[in-house]
Amino acid sequence: MTVSLSAQHVVKRYGGVVALADGHLEVRSGEVVALLGANGSGKSTLSKIITGVVAPNEGQLQLNGQPITFASPRDARRAGIAAVYQELSLIPDMSVAENIWLTHEPYQLWRVNRRKMRQDTQKLLDLFGGTYRASLTPDAPINSLPPDERQIVEILKALSFQPRIIILDEATASLDSQQVDRLFDLVARWKSEGMAVVFVSHRMEEIFRIADRATVLRNGRHVGDRLMQGTTERDLVNLMIESAAQPHAHERPPLQADAPVRLQVENLQAGPIAGVNLTLRDGELLGLGGLQGQGQSELLLALFGALPISRGTVTLSGERVRYGHPWEAMERGVAFVPGDRGSEGLLLSRSILENMHLPSWAKFGFPLKMRQAEAEAQRSADELRLVMAGLGAPVSSLSGGNAQKVVIGKWLLRSPRLLLLNDPTKGVDVGAKGEFYTLLNQLRAQGTAILFYSSDDDELIGLCDRVLVLHDGQVSADLRGGDVTRVNLVSASMGGGGAVVGG
Amino acid sequence: MPTDRRYLAAGSQNLSGEHDTKMHADSTSLTMAQADAGVKPLAILRRSLSQYPFLFALLLLVIALAINYALQDNLFELRTLNRNLRGFLPSIILAVGQTLVIIGGGVDLSVGAIVSMVNAILVTLITAESSPEQVGLAILIGCGAGVLAGMVNGFCVAYLRLQPIVTTYATSFVFSGLALLILPRPGGAIPEFLEDLYRSTPGDIPFAVYMIVLVVIVWWLLRSSRFGQYLFATGGKAEAAYTTGVPVNRIRLMSYVLCGLFAALAALAYTTLTSSGNPRSGDDLTLPSVVAVVLGGTRLSGGQGGVVGTIFGVIILGVFRNIISFANIDSWWQTLVNALIIIAALAGPGLLTALRGRNRS
Repeated sequence: MTVSLSAQHVVKRYGGVVALADGHLEVRSGEVVALLGANGSGKSTLSKIITGVVAPNEGQLQLNGQPITFASPRDARRAGIAAVYQELSLIPDMSVAENIWLTHEPYQLWRVNRRKMRQDTQKLLDLFGGTYRASLTPDAPINSLPPDERQIVEILKALSFQPRIIILDEATASLDSQQVDRLFDLVARWKSEGMAVVFVSHRMEEIFRIADRATVLRNGRHVGDRLMQGTTERDLVNLMIESAAQPHAHERPPLQADAPVRLQVENLQAGPIAGVNLTLRDGELLGLGGLQGQGQSELLLALFGALPISRGTVTLSGERVRYGHPWEAMERGVAFVPGDRGSEGLLLSRSILENMHLPSWAKFGFPLKMRQAEAEAQRSADELRLVMAGLGAPVSSLSGGNAQKVVIGKWLLRSPRLLLLNDPTKGVDVGAKGEFYTLLNQLRAQGTAILFYSSDDDELIGLCDRVLVLHDGQVSADLRGGDVTRVNLVSASMGGGGAVVGG
Repeated sequence: MPTDRRYLAAGSQNLSGEHDTKMHADSTSLTMAQADAGVKPLAILRRSLSQYPFLFALLLLVIALAINYALQDNLFELRTLNRNLRGFLPSIILAVGQTLVIIGGGVDLSVGAIVSMVNAILVTLITAESSPEQVGLAILIGCGAGVLAGMVNGFCVAYLRLQPIVTTYATSFVFSGLALLILPRPGGAIPEFLEDLYRSTPGDIPFAVYMIVLVVIVWWLLRSSRFGQYLFATGGKAEAAYTTGVPVNRIRLMSYVLCGLFAALAALAYTTLTSSGNPRSGDDLTLPSVVAVVLGGTRLSGGQGGVVGTIFGVIILGVFRNIISFANIDSWWQTLVNALIIIAALAGPGLLTALRGRNRS
């Protein structure tokens, strides 16, 4: 049975902010369409409209040529549309099987048939057989699983509805390469079975691997469709952004080898960190690399006083420190930009102004000098080129890239001496990344010492003079200058650093 | 970061507090999972506790019963058992309804007032000479009133997105007001056959035991139905449940309606127990109903727990009340202890994290 879905001239406004100005998407049986766009381009909004999670203000959806409206995700589900969400739609306390079959549990008379539910779950899990740990069973509670396995469950959950149209919204973000391969095998199979697939991803390489066609959005508008055969990465990127930003396009400030040592860490042990040494000078940007979850975040948290240190010494500005609370680190000029801006970095329902000044209210006296606060916030908003309705607007009204700018902005207002960055550009669009790199270089020129964890190797190569690769909570390679290459980074992240690096 | 306004607009408000606790709980379980590697017996204990949340309550119950037995050696005689259990029954039925609401992510502070209201309705409609038919009709009307009260609560929480605590606290004054309007001062009587049934011990087993078994069966049916899955999903993570297609609003409404119905049944049990009406009868029942749920291992922020633990919880509270009266301790201790239990339950996850933090450094 063939199926086709189209969205035409779809508009979605959140208050005064237009998330989607003119969305357009078509997909039909046996086709994989990549939905492309920088962050804030409206692709998440468009996929939420297709799946009935949000209702459009204007525009029309057509299923098999017939106009259709979805009042809820349930309606979309009934029409054969299922989605794998970026922000997972799993209930943490419930088991894998319960989550997958939620809302369509198999029944035996009046009871949920748990045995059948378990068997069917196992069948689904077998699709990813060999790529997950033995602890992923139908009965395992979701909150006991690592992110990649949760993502697999999320995918299988969408699949369990036997959809005719499936939307994969950043479904590969937390999967490893083996799991991605398996997913793509499945996508190929779905395609041959006549399913329609919408694939939303930041990873260009993946898009070229599985998509037949790309639909590109920019600033909430549909700017073009390209057949993957006969198009290039460059072409697509140009469609996505006005000017492509590449980290290596930036001039790096010269490294001052004799600059004072800002941070000295000796044999640090904290949580999964098993003995890390590092030295960071003023104006230096030291990269942290390696596979995700090798202790990079924990290292940064420990240096910010948010994770207790069990052994080792930390020397900041020549003074040995041991924090009981992040506040003590902040007082010494340490700033931390978390990676998960939603849960760690921002008060989403509060205004941009309040978020920016949250760490700095102390300097505005009593009663708070609001005019001065507004002026300062406006200045840094301008510097960050923040696209917003006004300082009084809630952070939740901003796009992902702009929200991340607020997280960074709130620390820059304090002019930190040591800046800890925990994968700050994850999920941020290319344009905003470019501005962010410029900002980092400005800070370095001012003498700020920066410790920078990134899950993006290209970013490390483009920005850092020196990269420490972490593996299993230890430094597996210390790469400098010309040694900071993709090959060395990948090889060291697998734990085999020393052999390749040589000198 | 566009989130779904249609659904979350006010939902995020009334959930924000609970989200915090949940995040806490999550990070606790993470750090605990790391710590588990070293301490095997602790891990086993934790796993069995999470699988059977009522184990802790059971342990506490055994201790309480032992103390009670030491003070009252006829505790396990049929007559004493019957007297105790029929005294506990109204609270048990009430707390079961409370459990449903709390699992669904809410709380109902109006349950006591609903008991007062339905109690007033029942004794106004029933006299000592009422026929079984008249009694049946009165019970139907009483249950209808409970359901209506639950609908008011549920509508405000689910569709108007008001905060459960504030909403139900406010509606509790409406229901108590109605109770006083219907029955300005204590009084009334019920037919003897009703009293006798309630006090009976068919097959040498107290009537209350049959009722408790019935309640557990009803729970088991709910739990193994789709409604049960939806209820746990709604309390566990409402946004995720919504995007999966769970009718979150309807489930929230239903949980309050069921709670109202259970409150009406609790009022029926209370009326037959005391054979009279009192417009303030339910005033002191609300706090203990929440405490019993907590003692039974149901998480206050929703998404986890069960009714069996709650029943243990009610019995524990009842046995403690016995102990307090036998040991000649002032009864306000009971209220104090109730309040402390709730605070401990709320503080528990945070305290654990703090303690673990200290251990590690």
